[in-house]
Order: sequence, then C-alpha cells, then structure tokens
Amino acid sequence: MVQVINLNFTYKKTRKKAIHEMDFNIHEGEVFGFLGPNGAGKTTTQRLIIGLLRNYTGQIEVMGKERKKWGKEFYEQIGVAFDFPNLYLKLTAKENLQLISAYYKDRIENPDKLLDRVGLLPDKDVRAESFSKGMKMRLNFIRSIMHQPRLMFFDEPTAGLDPVNAHIIKDIILEQKSAGKTVFLTTHNMTVAEQLCDRVAFIVDGQIVVTGSPKDLMIEHGKRRIKVEYKQNGNLFEKEFEMDHLAENKQFTDILKNTDIRTIHSCEATLEDIFIKLTGRNLL
Amino acid sequence: MRFLHAIWADIRFQMKQGFYLVYVLITIMYLIILSFLPEDVLSVALPLVVFSDPSVLGLFFIGGIIMLEKVQGVLSVLVVSPLRTIEYLLSKVVSLALVSVLAAFAITGFSQYESVNWLILFLSTVLTSGIFTLCGIMINAGCQTVNQYMIKTIPYMLLFVLPCVTLIGFPYSWVFTIVPSVAALRLMLGAYTGINFYEAIALIVYLTGVNYLFLRWTIRVFENEIIYQE
Ligand SMILES: Nc1ncnc2c1ncn2[C@@H]1O[C@H](COP(=O)(O)OP(=O)(O)OP(=O)(O)O)[C@@H](O)[C@H]1O
Ligand SMILES: [Mg+2]
Repeated sequence: MVQVINLNFTYKKTRKKAIHEMDFNIHEGEVFGFLGPNGAGKTTTQRLIIGLLRNYTGQIEVMGKERKKWGKEFYEQIGVAFDFPNLYLKLTAKENLQLISAYYKDRIENPDKLLDRVGLLPDKDVRAESFSKGMKMRLNFIRSIMHQPRLMFFDEPTAGLDPVNAHIIKDIILEQKSAGKTVFLTTHNMTVAEQLCDRVAFIVDGQIVVTGSPKDLMIEHGKRRIKVEYKQNGNLFEKEFEMDHLAENKQFTDILKNTDIRTIHSCEATLEDIFIKLTGRNLL
Repeated sequence: MRFLHAIWADIRFQMKQGFYLVYVLITIMYLIILSFLPEDVLSVALPLVVFSDPSVLGLFFIGGIIMLEKVQGVLSVLVVSPLRTIEYLLSKVVSLALVSVLAAFAITGFSQYESVNWLILFLSTVLTSGIFTLCGIMINAGCQTVNQYMIKTIPYMLLFVLPCVTLIGFPYSWVFTIVPSVAALRLMLGAYTGINFYEAIALIVYLTGVNYLFLRWTIRVFENEIIYQE
C-alpha cells in the first residue's frame, strides 16, 4: 500500500534534516503505528506521504504510484485526521460534515450514522464553536473517514479523549481494518499502539530503529521469566523463575501447591520499556 | 459540481461569520451619506464609493476570510480534500464579486442617479473585485495574524489607490491606465459618465488579462506558502 525507500527530507527554512534514509512498508489492510519522541519526524513522514511536502529524495510509492505522480484525485482515496481539530466553528456538527463531503465524488456515508457512532448525534445541530476539545476531535475523526478512504492517516487519534470515547475511536479503527482498509497512525500512547497496531516502527531522529509487531517486540525485548506473587503465613512474597522447564521447577511447583497465589506475570517488555530503551528518553 | 459547492460553502461561511451584515451596514451608511450630496458632487462621489467597495473593502474582507480559515484550521482540511487550488481561489473570487455586485447595484439603484450603464457597472465591479481578491490572497499567504495582514496591505493599497488620482487628467495621464486599479476605475466611471465603445472593450480585455495573470500567480503563491509548508 505504501512503500518508502531510502527517503530523505530536509526542511528548507531551517535546513533541518528531518528524515534520514528511511525505509518501510505498510501492507494493505494493516494498522501501522509510528512511535517516537517529540520531533522524531513522525508528522513529517506522514506529511510526505500525504503530499504536503515536496523535494524529498528517495521513493514514496503509494497505492501503486510514486507520490509525485499523483494529482488531487489522490485525496478521494485517503483520509487524514490531523492532531489539532480543524472545524468551521460557526457551522454545526452536521454542516461541517456536509460541507466537506460535497467535495468528494461519491461513497459518502450517512452523516447521522457517523455522528451517532461517536456519540455526537444529540449535538448534530450545535455549532462546533461550543464543542469541547474531545467533541471536536471526534467530529474531526469521523470527517476524515466519511468518504470511505482506502488509506487513512491519523495523528494522535485518541489525544484528549476520555477512556470511553477513546475506546469508540479505537473500535472504529479496528472496524476499518477488518473492512480491509489500511491505517497509518502516530501516537505517544503505548497502550493504543499495542491494542491497535499490527506493526509498529520506532523512530528516533528521523530514522527507524526497530519495526515489528508489538507482541514480537515485547517478547524479544523482555525476559523469558515469570514473576509470582504469593502469600504465605500472612506475609507477601515475590519470586521470579526462568520460563523454560517451569513444570519441573520444584520451588515453583511447591509455591503453586502450598501458597496463596496473588498474581502470575510473564516478564515480556512493555512497549513503554522498549520505547525508553530505544530512544534513551522518557515518554513525552 | 465541486466548484459550485465551494462557492456555496464560501457564501455560507461569509454569511455566518457576519461579513454580509457588515456589508449591508456599510451600504446603508454609504446611501445615507450620498443622499445628502448635491447632484454634481454625486456624479463623482457615487462611482468612487461604488469602486471602493470591491477594492479597498474587498481587500480587507478577503484578508479576514482567509485569516479565519487559517485560524480555524479548515484550510488544512481543504488542502487534503479533492478540491483543486484553482477551484478554491475562484470560489473566493466569485463569492466576493457577487457581494460587490449586489452592493454596487444597491447603492447605484437607491441613489437615483440617471443614465447608468448597468452592463459596464457589472463588468467593472466583477473585474475590480477579482483583482483585489486575488491580491488579498497573495498578501495574506505569508501572514500569521490579522495585524500582520493589515500592515502588509497598506503599501499595496497605496500602490493601487494613489495612481487613481491621475484620473483627474493632465497631459499623458492616460499612461497610468496601465495600473490595473486605474484601468478598473476608468471603466467604472464610464458606467456613470458614458464611455467610448472601443475604450470600454480595450479596458475589459486588459482587466480580464490582468485577472487571469493574477490568478495564475496567486495559485503559485498559494501553493508555495500555504499548501507546502516546507
Ligand atoms: N514546518 C517546519 N519547518 C521546519 N522544521 C520543521 C517543521 N516541522 C517540523 N520541523 C522539524 O522537523 C523535525 C521533525 O518534526 P515532526 O513534526 O515530524 O516530529 P514528530 O515526530 O511529529 O513530533 P511530535 O511527537 O512532537 O508530534 C523536528 O526537529 C522539527 O523541529
Ligand atoms: Mg507530530
């Protein structure tokens, strides 16, 4: 769906080399996540693929054609939700959808249905200026998918949303995926990345340092150990064991038999651990 | 279709943001002032007032409109939609020309001036409006705030308005007709005081050409400054 080969990009004004020899693929029908510290080049990469930055070197092939060769018809097939809400403030929620949808050829989804999906149906006739940030973000989000694009770009889609609404957005993204759509998202939220992404790429200083499925990365960067928390004679204990040959581990089986188990965890790394390890920075 | 939707969207945007209300108030104010003027002053004041509408006022209006679109972030949404740059720009031109024509006709109609050439009035208003709208978009492209726009607009305004003084007439003053605003005002005056047929045609052709060049130029400026933020 998207194939990036040896991509380099420098901002003209600041002469800042934002992207450095980047290579990656996004397959059709997958959710691909970009993770990395502030200023790593996530938004820049998305903007390059979307076509908002020119003068790159290397190749960006999108939907079978070099990005430079696409015209404006490209936008019929992609959906973009920026990380800041951008709405006609004096128009109502529904009018906001209708106004932009008029610029697309066809396949527009029913606006009421979409509004209902993100809990905005009761506010459909309310002007966007009186919306909270979370309401604006949700409206912004459905506007980016109403023309049923094949490829979607979401920059921090759950930022500023409460857990219930974040859940709704995550569900919609997974629905899009099961409908065969491709999603490219950036996020600082490791839980979101783990829940949604088939593959993630960690990007640092304009370069991809690691790519893989969240699960594989977590196992690879973790320890093959388990951690048991148990209660014995009223006291709380914690002990770690090698994962291999657990059943033959006498000490472990004794604990299982004779104590009151509180928790058992495998010690794979969290995406947060990997992030800190790879970037040498804390989560921002 | 997309283009018509864009025009309709612009009209709605301008209406909801209160631009039409401002226009109506200004038009009424003009009418009141004009009604106090004696006939001979009116024949000069009326064209000037009507001219100031698509030009000076238009310049500030387009600045305000684009600034609002920038601040609300909708410009970046349009950029990633199938709407073409030329459609976006022309729809601004058409929607503002429409208001200007309505205002020009209203002011002229209510001021009971005799012998108006309505066709020339229409064409001169549209052509003037186009030039100033496109200029406003170009000036606005590099601006981040309304104040910046105001300050940047003033020199352009002087550049356009000052040469209009040459219409008073002195030897070789016709040379200044090369300045688009002078040509536009000359055509507009013709709508009220009569104009030679060939002169009118020449001015219309010239102003249409200027509009076309400005449009091509604005597309380039707009794409370089607004679409590609590199
Ligand atoms: N318009 C611009 N002009 C010049 N330099 C820019 C511009 N936008 C970004 N940069 C620079 O390019 C680098 C990458 O920025 P980018 O916005 O892609 O980071 P990001 O990974 O999206 O960060 P964040 O997590 O903060 O969104 C940064 O060093 C930034 O300063
Ligand atoms: Mg970013």
